[in-house]
Amino acid sequence: MLGSIGAWLRANLFRNRTDAVVTVVVGSILLYALYRFLRFLFVTGRWEIVRVNLPLYLTGAWPSDELWRITTVIVAAALVGGLAAGVAARRAAEAPDRVDTGPRSPGRVALDLLDRLWPAVATVLLLLILARTAAPWLLVVAAVVVAIAANQVGRRLPLRVGWLVNLAIPVGVVAALWLLNGGVGWNEWGGLLLNLALAAIAITLCFPFGVLLALGRRSTFPILRLLSTVYIELFRGVPLIALLLLANQALGFFIPQSIAPGRTVRAIVVLTLFTAAYVAEIVRGGLQSVPPGQIEAGKANGLTALAITRRIVLPQAIRNVIPALVGQFISLFKDTTLAGAAMGFLDLLRAAEASTQQDAFRGDGLIAEALVFVLLVFWAGSYTMSRESQRLEKRLGVGVR
Amino acid sequence: MTEHDTVPSDAVPAADGGAPATVFADATQLADGVEAMIELDRVTKRFGDFEALKDIDLRVGRQEVVVVIGPSGSGKSTLIRCINRLEVHDEGRIVVDGIELSDDVRQILAVRRETNMVFQQFNLYPHLSVLDNITLSPRLVRRQSRADAEAKAMALLERVRIPEQAHKYPAQLSGGQQQRVAIARSLAMEPKVILFDEPTSALDPEMINEVLEVMIDLAREGMTMIVVTHEMGFARQVADRVVFMDSGEIVEVGTPEHFFTSPREERTQAFLSQIL
Repeated sequence: MLGSIGAWLRANLFRNRTDAVVTVVVGSILLYALYRFLRFLFVTGRWEIVRVNLPLYLTGAWPSDELWRITTVIVAAALVGGLAAGVAARRAAEAPDRVDTGPRSPGRVALDLLDRLWPAVATVLLLLILARTAAPWLLVVAAVVVAIAANQVGRRLPLRVGWLVNLAIPVGVVAALWLLNGGVGWNEWGGLLLNLALAAIAITLCFPFGVLLALGRRSTFPILRLLSTVYIELFRGVPLIALLLLANQALGFFIPQSIAPGRTVRAIVVLTLFTAAYVAEIVRGGLQSVPPGQIEAGKANGLTALAITRRIVLPQAIRNVIPALVGQFISLFKDTTLAGAAMGFLDLLRAAEASTQQDAFRGDGLIAEALVFVLLVFWAGSYTMSRESQRLEKRLGVGVR
Repeated sequence: MTEHDTVPSDAVPAADGGAPATVFADATQLADGVEAMIELDRVTKRFGDFEALKDIDLRVGRQEVVVVIGPSGSGKSTLIRCINRLEVHDEGRIVVDGIELSDDVRQILAVRRETNMVFQQFNLYPHLSVLDNITLSPRLVRRQSRADAEAKAMALLERVRIPEQAHKYPAQLSGGQQQRVAIARSLAMEPKVILFDEPTSALDPEMINEVLEVMIDLAREGMTMIVVTHEMGFARQVADRVVFMDSGEIVEVGTPEHFFTSPREERTQAFLSQIL
């Protein structure tokens, strides 16, 4: 055992004199940085600013007697998500082309889930520990129990009603937005809630729009091609923050004030329009990667141009660009902080910044603590998305050809 | 030439399995009374300055099997790709089962729904299972229910002798199996004509026969087929007529006996002496 470690060290870190010098120098720097970071996390860091301001960071200026709305949405999301996962698992198990992996024990399933979602799980645990009250624990336990129960129900539902569950997702999203909007008008949302809502809505909208733009840019209609190209090059050529500032401060030049939408809608529109241009270019790359023989086969098989695009070209094109697409969505998630900066939302980043100016903490120099917490939350979200995309890639069998 | 344009629709079709197999003065044409499935009149196709097809005249009768041979670059593939409009011809007329190919999308779709094509590279849809590859067009175009389409697809997979592969994906199959799936996919649309574009050229030698056997079965069952191939054995055994092309022209057309034993043209003789 020791011998093999020694051999590994020799082979990888101390192969010759130069290697040894590099290893020692770089290793020392890394170890020192790690030491300073751990010391900051566990010794010198004063985390009470995060602990006290958790509600502000997560939900902005949300009144505490309206918190039940958020709680309800979380539990409802666990319910619908569990049901949908159960139905999907049942479908996959009964699909004739499944790869039979045998039954999995509940412990195995839990471990797999933990492996998939550990950055998010770790962050939630950290939040719970910081919160130090019982209510959040209760909420998380309730959500997990509901999700597991719904999953079991979903697996037992007859396949005929499966589509109802699929319908429940968009209906649920609209209902959730309505419920949340009732508490605090969504132009007043803040904290992580706002970042998540902006990202989720903009991702949902920019994807189909970007696909249409990509198809437009490859269309045989010159007008469509021109419009798509101009749009894409225009939006890719300007800074996002400039667009956000424009939407925030100068929209009146373009639309009468009376019908101008609120700032949340403006932020969503700008993020969507901007990201759609990038999505379009990514998808265009995917479209080009589909061999012409695929289109010819579809034509020879009597399919219409629309059916060839929808059923043959797009599925293969999008499968080929999942990593780049998810990268763009991760960018969008992080860029929601720009919306905060440019449009005056109290989003997670600005809430953290503002908290350092509270009477209790002013002059304490706690900026690092607040910002490190923000980084951790964004990293957990982004890294989870990245891992899920790798899983999706594997499942859809990229590179099978 | 014109008498064939006026063949009444109730003309006597060719006998089952057999087909018009006599040598005519102009063998690009059909015997009197044989109904034309495909008519090409003075068809020319250019790629830029290059003339890929020059003034092609050819008629193919119902249930006839026509094998097209010739050196590479002679325009064989372009010829059959014009018949289902994967290539757009520049001059002349192409009529398939009474439908003339033009820029009219409905006419093109109508022709593509009566014909089908088997490609050299198979061109199966890699993201769909074998069964879904076969049922996609019947469900979308013929509006068959999933259950009906799948039952028919299974019957077709029996016919090409790989029912056990129904739930696999194309990448999991050998070349020969993929090509047989491609043939089943074509048959699922119940086409009147199948165009074969070098169906065995991308296969390892040991897989060629399994594909040829399926094609021979099809020919015996009376499918109208145009086959671009280098398989002379297949041409001899199955073809009603053999078409020899060179430099975008039809050099010679004849029955296999005539064609392989006593070709008239020098270019045909030279080509045959190289490959036989």
